[in-house]
Amino acid sequence: MLPIILMTMRCFLRDRILFALLGAAGLLLLLIPAMSSFSMRQVQELSITLSLSANSFLLLILATLLGSASVWGDIERRYTAGLLGLPLSRRSYLLGKFTGIAVFLLACCAILAVAGLAVIAIAKSQYPAASDPQWWVILLASAMIGLKYVLLAAFAMFFSTLSTSFFLPIFGTLGVYFAGTASQEVFEYLNSDIAENLSPLVKSCAEAFYYILPNFSAFDLKVQAVYGLPLDAMSLLGTLLYFLAYLAVLLTLSVWLFERRDL
Amino acid sequence: MNAIEIKGLSKTYRGKRGARVEALVDLNLDVKAGEVFGFLGPNGAGKSTTIKLLTGQLRLNSGCAMLFGVQVSDPDARLRLGYLPENPSLHGHMNAWEHLRFVGQIHGLDAQRIKRDSQQILELLELDKDAKRPVKGYSKGMTQRLALAVALLPDPDLLILDEPMSGLDPLGRALVKDIIRDAKGRGKTVFFSTHITSDIEAVCDRIGIVVRGRLCALENVAELLREGVEGYLVRYADKLGCQHEDLIVRDRLRERLDSLLASGATLDAIEPHRRDMEAYFLQTVKDAEACLS
Repeated sequence: MLPIILMTMRCFLRDRILFALLGAAGLLLLLIPAMSSFSMRQVQELSITLSLSANSFLLLILATLLGSASVWGDIERRYTAGLLGLPLSRRSYLLGKFTGIAVFLLACCAILAVAGLAVIAIAKSQYPAASDPQWWVILLASAMIGLKYVLLAAFAMFFSTLSTSFFLPIFGTLGVYFAGTASQEVFEYLNSDIAENLSPLVKSCAEAFYYILPNFSAFDLKVQAVYGLPLDAMSLLGTLLYFLAYLAVLLTLSVWLFERRDL
Repeated sequence: MNAIEIKGLSKTYRGKRGARVEALVDLNLDVKAGEVFGFLGPNGAGKSTTIKLLTGQLRLNSGCAMLFGVQVSDPDARLRLGYLPENPSLHGHMNAWEHLRFVGQIHGLDAQRIKRDSQQILELLELDKDAKRPVKGYSKGMTQRLALAVALLPDPDLLILDEPMSGLDPLGRALVKDIIRDAKGRGKTVFFSTHITSDIEAVCDRIGIVVRGRLCALENVAELLREGVEGYLVRYADKLGCQHEDLIVRDRLRERLDSLLASGATLDAIEPHRRDMEAYFLQTVKDAEACLS
């Protein structure tokens, strides 16, 4: 599996489009100190929000593109014909490919997180805030963003194993992203007094979607990072276990489908 | 042990509007170890489907297929296999060295052997000067040769080549034929699909002709060529020294030679005049199409 991981990463590292995206994210980060200064009293808070958002936006694009193009792209370009003629199981191919994508995403996340910290430090020096930023919380929030997009990439790969075109992987992944980001709020709305008049069928369907779709809001530590709020260790552990379990299910399904697919 | 064993292999695709397309129907075929087997057939006959089934890219609907006694669904079946796909496509960002290193690693070869054998194969296929260039800059023929290098690197006992001459110039085609002959000389098995019947005559021990997913002929090439002799071209000089050429039907050769010698003629050459492989292939396909219609 290691050769597949290395090959996947090597191809990413030589892809100019990915570097252009990273460059654009870098530029976005450089603009943050200037943009933060528009908020007269919350420069530090805004710089943290913007740097985490820039990180998140780039990873959304990368996870969607890389995960979607993973299997479908290799089939379309006929790379799989040569690869699967080697003594390599489809499982190893798929898991190797996914690991390569995940490592690349996490590496990009780490680079952007470090750059983000530098940018926040610059913004903070312009207008010192009442309290110092909680650097570890910001780093942890960045790490959670990384995990969130690794999970999204697994979804993209899952769609990619099913599809014969770019349509389902790209738009299916974006659909899961938006639904997964909103699912917690929808769930809370359904359980509030305002939703009392909704039909039980609609409520049941929405609840079913809530449990099936990934809950991306569990990975969102932006508020804690911005205001330096304390973190709940048990909640973090729960999110980590949720991530691992969801990832395992998705990858198992992807392998199961891919092993049955004619290429 | 046979290098390839195919028993009752069938494959059906779902075509447009759910229509069933029978790509292969009850295919039975054994290829002995050390044999060069040519797999012929018109476009869409099922050659590539057979090869894709053998290399694990397609799932069997029924029957079984084995490489050296291992079911093709098991990745270990491909441990002794070198495979060249039809119109191969390679990662454009990687160069030839990286491709070969990757394949060597998948086959579990050690780094030194990968380096040594890669160098030899790249020289053999005249790619050594371009080996550090990304593959996306390669011509079609160069890509084909690199894909062949990938198939040859692990020194496999079985080579499955899908249209190996495709995209190659005459020099490249001659080189591939030499590689196939060399592999046969070293006891390797070669199974290749082609449309080019002259290639079959040049290198194959046996051929199979597949038409509409059915194996319609299985022949020994040497016997086929021997049986295909329709007559002889005799070159001779008469007693005055004038050169002549006569095409003599097979049954009358002895009688004609006796009369020439009796007349004082000098024989220069006797060459068999045979129905070529192409004629045999075309006739077989025509008969099969008529039978299946």
